[in-house]
Amino acid sequence: MALPNQQTVEYPSFKLVLVGDGGTGKTTFVKRHLTGEFEKKYEPTIGVEVHPLDFHTNCGRIRFYCWDTAGQEKFGGLRDGYYIHGQCAIIMFDVTARLTYKNVPTWHRDLCRVCENIPVVLCGNKVDVKNRQVKAKMVTFHRKKNLQYYEISAKSNYNFEKPFLYLARKLAGDPNLHFVESPALAPPEVQIDLAQQQLHEQELAAAAAQPLPDDDDESLD
Amino acid sequence: MDDLERAIMLIYESAGGAADSAVVSQAIEFCDRLKAGHPPSLLRFCLDRLLSSPLVPVQFWCLQSLYDAIRLSYSSLCADDDILPLLRGSLLSLFSTSPLPCSSPAFLKNKLAQVLAALIRFEYPSPWPSPFLHLLSHLPSGGSAAVDMFSRFLIALDDNLISQDYHVSPDDVAAAARVKDAMRLQCVPQIAHTWFDIVSLYRSSDPSLAAATLDTMSRYITWIDIGLVANDAFLPLLFDLILSPATPEPLLAASAGCVLAVVSKRMDPQLKLNLLGSLRLSRVLSDSELVQKLPALVIGYASEALDCYKKLGSQNNEGSSSAMDLLEEALPSVFYVMQTCQELDSCDVVQFLSDYISTMKIPSQKQMVYIGQMLEVIQAQICYDPSYRFNLDVRDKIGKEQEDQMAEHRRDLLVLFRSVCRVAPGVTQLFIHNLIANALSSSDMNMEEVEAALTLFHRLGETVSEEGMKTGSGLLKEMVPMLLSAKFSCHSHRSVALVYLEAVTRYLKFVQENGQYLPNALAAFLDERGMHHPNLNVSRRASYLFMRAVKLLKLKLVPFVKTILQSLEDSLVQYTISDWTSKDLKGSGFEDGSHAFEAIGLLIGVDEIPAEKQSEYLAALLTPLCQQVETLLIDAKAHSLEESSPNVMSSQQIIVALNALSKGFSERTLTTTRPAIGLMFKQTLDVLLQILIAFPRIKPLRNKVTSYLHRMVEILGTMVLPYLPIALNQLLEDSEPKDMVDFLVLINQVICKFGASLENTLEELFPTIASRLFLILSSEAFPSGQGGNTEEIRELQELHRISFAFIHVMVTHDLSSVFLAPNSRGYLDAIMQLLLLTSCAHKDVLVRKICVQTLVKLIKDWCSKDNDEDKVPGFRCFIIQNFAYGCCLKSVLDKSFEFRDANTLVLFGEIVLAQKVMYEKLGDDFISYFIHNSLQTAHCPQDSAEQYYHHLQGNDNKSFKSFYQSLIENLRQQENGSLVFR
Repeated sequence: MALPNQQTVEYPSFKLVLVGDGGTGKTTFVKRHLTGEFEKKYEPTIGVEVHPLDFHTNCGRIRFYCWDTAGQEKFGGLRDGYYIHGQCAIIMFDVTARLTYKNVPTWHRDLCRVCENIPVVLCGNKVDVKNRQVKAKMVTFHRKKNLQYYEISAKSNYNFEKPFLYLARKLAGDPNLHFVESPALAPPEVQIDLAQQQLHEQELAAAAAQPLPDDDDESLD
Repeated sequence: MDDLERAIMLIYESAGGAADSAVVSQAIEFCDRLKAGHPPSLLRFCLDRLLSSPLVPVQFWCLQSLYDAIRLSYSSLCADDDILPLLRGSLLSLFSTSPLPCSSPAFLKNKLAQVLAALIRFEYPSPWPSPFLHLLSHLPSGGSAAVDMFSRFLIALDDNLISQDYHVSPDDVAAAARVKDAMRLQCVPQIAHTWFDIVSLYRSSDPSLAAATLDTMSRYITWIDIGLVANDAFLPLLFDLILSPATPEPLLAASAGCVLAVVSKRMDPQLKLNLLGSLRLSRVLSDSELVQKLPALVIGYASEALDCYKKLGSQNNEGSSSAMDLLEEALPSVFYVMQTCQELDSCDVVQFLSDYISTMKIPSQKQMVYIGQMLEVIQAQICYDPSYRFNLDVRDKIGKEQEDQMAEHRRDLLVLFRSVCRVAPGVTQLFIHNLIANALSSSDMNMEEVEAALTLFHRLGETVSEEGMKTGSGLLKEMVPMLLSAKFSCHSHRSVALVYLEAVTRYLKFVQENGQYLPNALAAFLDERGMHHPNLNVSRRASYLFMRAVKLLKLKLVPFVKTILQSLEDSLVQYTISDWTSKDLKGSGFEDGSHAFEAIGLLIGVDEIPAEKQSEYLAALLTPLCQQVETLLIDAKAHSLEESSPNVMSSQQIIVALNALSKGFSERTLTTTRPAIGLMFKQTLDVLLQILIAFPRIKPLRNKVTSYLHRMVEILGTMVLPYLPIALNQLLEDSEPKDMVDFLVLINQVICKFGASLENTLEELFPTIASRLFLILSSEAFPSGQGGNTEEIRELQELHRISFAFIHVMVTHDLSSVFLAPNSRGYLDAIMQLLLLTSCAHKDVLVRKICVQTLVKLIKDWCSKDNDEDKVPGFRCFIIQNFAYGCCLKSVLDKSFEFRDANTLVLFGEIVLAQKVMYEKLGDDFISYFIHNSLQTAHCPQDSAEQYYHHLQGNDNKSFKSFYQSLIENLRQQENGSLVFR
């Protein structure tokens, strides 16, 4: 889904819509892939920026045109108009800010209104930060809506490829597709505490074994 | 194209980044200005363009603007008499008489539906009672386009108003209740009839339209009268669709979705039971092909039946037994679903089965059969796919991914397994016993099945009680020895070998109690199943697990020490001569094989080994390691070293090995009972400090040596003292904030351990430390706000905290004289100012507490009642005028000092204590200044000041504290009052 102003490529390419509250790290996340440096300063995205991200799979190269949308209403531009013709999506929230998780259902609804039946990945970002507010076991939304969930840390590159791999597999209809070489990523800013993260992942898996709560708000408040 | 069209297309297409950003901003501004205009005019404009513009993004923008205008400016629309009727009419016609063409993109239709839903939120049932009736009057005769729009509208209404899945306000909840109530009274039965008509009409000619209608309906079943759907018309239609082989997949799924919504409807258990029975779901359950297609329905039905059984339970025997009948009718299908469905959210099934298990106390014969089936299903579900056998063995990228996925997939299944173990331990043991015995007796069993069986055996251990583990309850006393001596045909596979070792480790308590199996257990760790396994990953893990085994069994292992050492000799040598730059070994992290050294340390460190044997064993280990370091040093001096060079890597590994080895030895052994052994460790410092001297700038080496020093401080006692000056001086070289933190942690440990005997060393070091700290801490600003969360800032904050801890540790270990030594004296003023400032205003209350405690101790050290004997001229005055006022009064008066916070209250206690100490040590100088000057400045009334003096003199600290708190609170109020009147 190339734009008129953008170079088209001969290999398969897909429009990926990246949404989520402001400050959850969407721009930081996509910029990890590029040669560009990780931005330390916080600059809200105006409207949308499109980043072409290439990945090498065992079936050849693919490109995601990653539409990094503004999370903050006042910088909206076309807002959900940018989702038009989206083929896959990532919804991002910030595990250190509860409200950003509470708003995930709304982002999902707004996305699905415009893009029916596309593969969607839910990403909990900033898992490198020590005092997280949204614990792994509180994250249940993806199970209700059949989304894939990953914990990521844009700062440390932790799980950077996972969302793209999942989407690539869904789009190609090939569950065995894999990336044959790692994309060039900006060097990690922080080392993620792997032991701590493993604990979270265990928590997450333990949580997966739990029944869905009737009302998410209860577990969050 | 007109201006609006040009602007929107420009914004939409600018996303590629090619357009001039100034032009884009202009276009965005143009659109925003339009949107900000007079709402009624904007509405007319948008309705017009929606129909006239051929460009989809422009149409979308018009709908978005309509939506925003309704949502945000409804009240100003009411002021215009004509606009709302126009809007209602235009919208309804787009849903009925002139709907968007079928070929329009779905997102436009959805957006349109959202606009109508938004208007209904404000206007239905009053002032606009007719929208539903109007739409219904055109259905289903209005054709497929109108039917499609009707479904989209009802979905939008649910998404935007009725559903509580979103973050909704109380206003939203009230609006939803109002709309639902009005609909129930006015049109819900008609809507249900219309659904029926639509599905009957389109099921063959346009099945996707019928499916969309049913998908919509399933959302509404939760809140409409169940009789509108669970009746003699609808149920036959739904089951006809489900059972008819001609029904296409989406329509089948939608029909089943409606039945599931009926099944899941919240209602009284007896009514629910009647409803479940009336469905005659056996029609579906008996068809295995259908069951496979509709797993959610099967599991939902079984769960509801179970729920009825639990709720009816004690008071209604007849009810609960018929619920159990329904449940048992569904159970085989549940197992079938579990075995066959790939795309299943297994959480629900497993949750259901866990719930089911939890209803069993003593399982009946029949239930035992189900439990057996569950075990089989679990075992089948946790097997790896054989096509990844190679990937798992070499643990490449795909292998790792498979492992991750399997770990996720297994977790809930293993939770279920644990419940099964608890309810039916005997059946489970027998099941696993047979699996393992089969695997050993035949070579037919493939690697995946063996791995799964061992995984279950391992997990079984988690549910066995302490007592059961020791005695080997039930079959365990046969199973564990079988495990210990087991060698599987696929034992060379990494995954099998790893889980085998985990399982053995899990049952070590049994071995501890049944010593005859010790040789078998040892062999499992030491031979080619463990530390001599050809796969490095396995042998490393084995060395870690062996260490844990030794920790548990060390006293029992004394007779085997020689055998163990012999058998490990090659592994130990291998460890230090490996090429650590090679790809295999890089990033092996925690499990690098060093645990073998720790295991041996634990083994030979016990007192039960005679002293000369112990030193013989230890020398055999230490001497070659130290020699290796010396060789490396000589070699390295010839070449320049870098962090990544092989010599650095090897040296690091050797230090890690020495550190691990030392963990088996206690301070008591090294300093009291066997000083000769202590001497041997002491000599290692001679060698290792050479590394620090030769290569102070190589951070990884420095970190490893620092850790080693920590260890030696802990176990060598005073023997380590002579090494400290040189070690600490080296560590101060070229240190960044992070290194400085590491350094201070070490020196704090040293001070805590050796206290005042360190005076000379510290006097020598202190000026360097102080100058380094002031340099780092003052040169870096502490920015706050958005960008203030970077790692560098966190490091600096950490250094800040630990610096105060350092000063605190010094002072509390009677080393305050160091500040007064000639070389340190120059820093005294700056340190005092810093302590004062921090005690008054640091944002971390705990740091403030440390500073107050530090100053209090200094007062005790340096001041005496008799003014002449003060050790530090000017200190008394500084305390009285600055600390007593600034910290003890002014900072506490500030409203940010929150008495309800526990940490702050602790700080307050210290501040109160400080005043007692000042009173004792500084006497009248303090009293007269504090009362006549400080309290006066705070507008403290005369009588309160007198009471203060009275309390200060008393012996009751508690009452002084509560008095002082109430005094502060009064003064705060007074402060407010005086501000008001000023």
